[in-house]
Amino acid sequence: MTTRLLSPVTGVVWKLSAQPGTTLMTDDEVLVLESMKMEIPVTAPHAGRLARLHVAEGEAVNEGQLLAEIVSENG
Amino acid sequence: MSDPPTSEPTLDELREALRQREARALAMGGAEKLAQRRALGVLNARERIARLFDPGSFLESGLLAHSIREADRERTPADGKITGYGRIEGRPAACVANDFTVLGASSSWVNGRKIRHLKQVAARRGLPIVWLGESTGARLPDVMGAEAMGMADDPAQYRRLRETPWAAAVLGHCYGSSAWYAAMSDFVVMRRGAILAVSSPKLTALATGEQLDPEALGGWKLHAEVTGLVDRVVDRDEEAIDAIKRFLSYLPSHSGEPPPVAERFEAPDADALARHLPTSRRRVYEVRKVLAAIFDRDSLFELKADYGGALVTALARLNGHSVGVLASNPMVKGGAIDAAACGKATAFLVLCDSFNIPLVFMIDQPGFLIGVEGERRGMPGRVMNWMNALSLVTVPRLAVVMRKNYGQALLNFGGGGNADETLVWTTAEIGFMSPEFAARIVHGEPTDPDTERQRLEEMARSTSPYALAGIYAAQHVIDPRDTRALLLHLLEVHRRPRGGVGEHRLHNWPTSLA
Repeated sequence: MTTRLLSPVTGVVWKLSAQPGTTLMTDDEVLVLESMKMEIPVTAPHAGRLARLHVAEGEAVNEGQLLAEIVSENG
Repeated sequence: MSDPPTSEPTLDELREALRQREARALAMGGAEKLAQRRALGVLNARERIARLFDPGSFLESGLLAHSIREADRERTPADGKITGYGRIEGRPAACVANDFTVLGASSSWVNGRKIRHLKQVAARRGLPIVWLGESTGARLPDVMGAEAMGMADDPAQYRRLRETPWAAAVLGHCYGSSAWYAAMSDFVVMRRGAILAVSSPKLTALATGEQLDPEALGGWKLHAEVTGLVDRVVDRDEEAIDAIKRFLSYLPSHSGEPPPVAERFEAPDADALARHLPTSRRRVYEVRKVLAAIFDRDSLFELKADYGGALVTALARLNGHSVGVLASNPMVKGGAIDAAACGKATAFLVLCDSFNIPLVFMIDQPGFLIGVEGERRGMPGRVMNWMNALSLVTVPRLAVVMRKNYGQALLNFGGGGNADETLVWTTAEIGFMSPEFAARIVHGEPTDPDTERQRLEEMARSTSPYALAGIYAAQHVIDPRDTRALLLHLLEVHRRPRGGVGEHRLHNWPTSLA
């Protein structure tokens, strides 16, 4: 199963916390956005492997924009 | 002495005839339909009632009611909607349980009378109503034609005055009646797999030609995340009914009394607060963990957790006393309040004020989330609905500024005299907007560093908690770890006369226009 991580806010990619191929546990940080002068972490909703990152550090993103894809172990 | 003539039955014979009728009614829609439900792990209407009420406490009203149509009399036990009274953890309550095995628990003339009577009794006596929903909508062919449509004669049918709490469970297909009563309730729990919609996918497809996925039309994700009509989602009927019992444990039986006080409670681990609250104002945190370190252990009962997530709304307890907690959650959108969160806040104020539950605001918000999406959803109307509701609240309102508190939203969270008392943490920061934005709005883009510095100096003001306390716009500056003790003290100070019963000026506020 592939889960698409969408941006919860309009903002800027502040930091990438994981690289493609990384194994993630539930709630592990994938990246951090900056919006409303806050650092907003985007975390893994379930365990899996970070399959793709669709954004780079410093990139502006809109709410709902695809940020990354996570493939779960059993899928 | 001679035997009575056979035309005059004995009381025993009459009782036997009664028992047979009762047994037929209690058999509901028949063994086959009941077995199908059991195989799916779904409770039937009478099993749901048994789960809801204390053992032996249920008194049914209208067991022997049936369809007004001659042709349906034998196949409409209790006319498909079981009504009655019982006790929930010792406290009296009323219930309407839809029996889906009887003509899909469709709405009819007779079962409409049952519901009407139960609502009247509940309002007069002060009983919460529990709606166990699973119904197809209006019964066919009963409702066909102008005469049938003209026979409705209860203009108060969909009037909600919040005399007593209503709690609804969405436990299957809920169209018509069970959808309407869920939408009118103070609390709605939905089982995954159930559908809540105006009409069934089948009728909707007939009317519009659109082939529909039932989950998309009215599934749990839609209502938990998009419409906000559902407060909690569970996997089983039993969990849904237990959630209703827990919800009601925080509320009074009616608006004329204070909420019940839990006899047993435990103070939380107060040190956890320091572990979960970053003092850096740029870093976010999970506010639920902070709340857990302030309110009674395991007492937080959250509503609409997946809707408008920049705010957390939860019933909770302090030394056993019910409170309503409206908290920013910086983890979602940095705590910036969107249109959904506005509606959620207003609905929560209405609930707490209607049932005499003091409010505690826990604030860390950078402002309303401005942008096209919010405007398309009528943001000014939603912000002002919240303000208007807040200004009409008569229960105690205590505002705790945890960190950021910016802009108009400061008023929505109790600033400007909209709270009875304001507590400011040593970590707090209060203002209208950042000096950088303010300088650009007034003067445009900066031209050179010297001018920029001057312009910033012109806009810079103290955002310190002590500045707020200095002009007595906040009454207390405190260490975050002292919050529980001070809230307890202030709830005593601000307890309303007349036993803590408020004026309920929001009692007729619409249930979903937030």
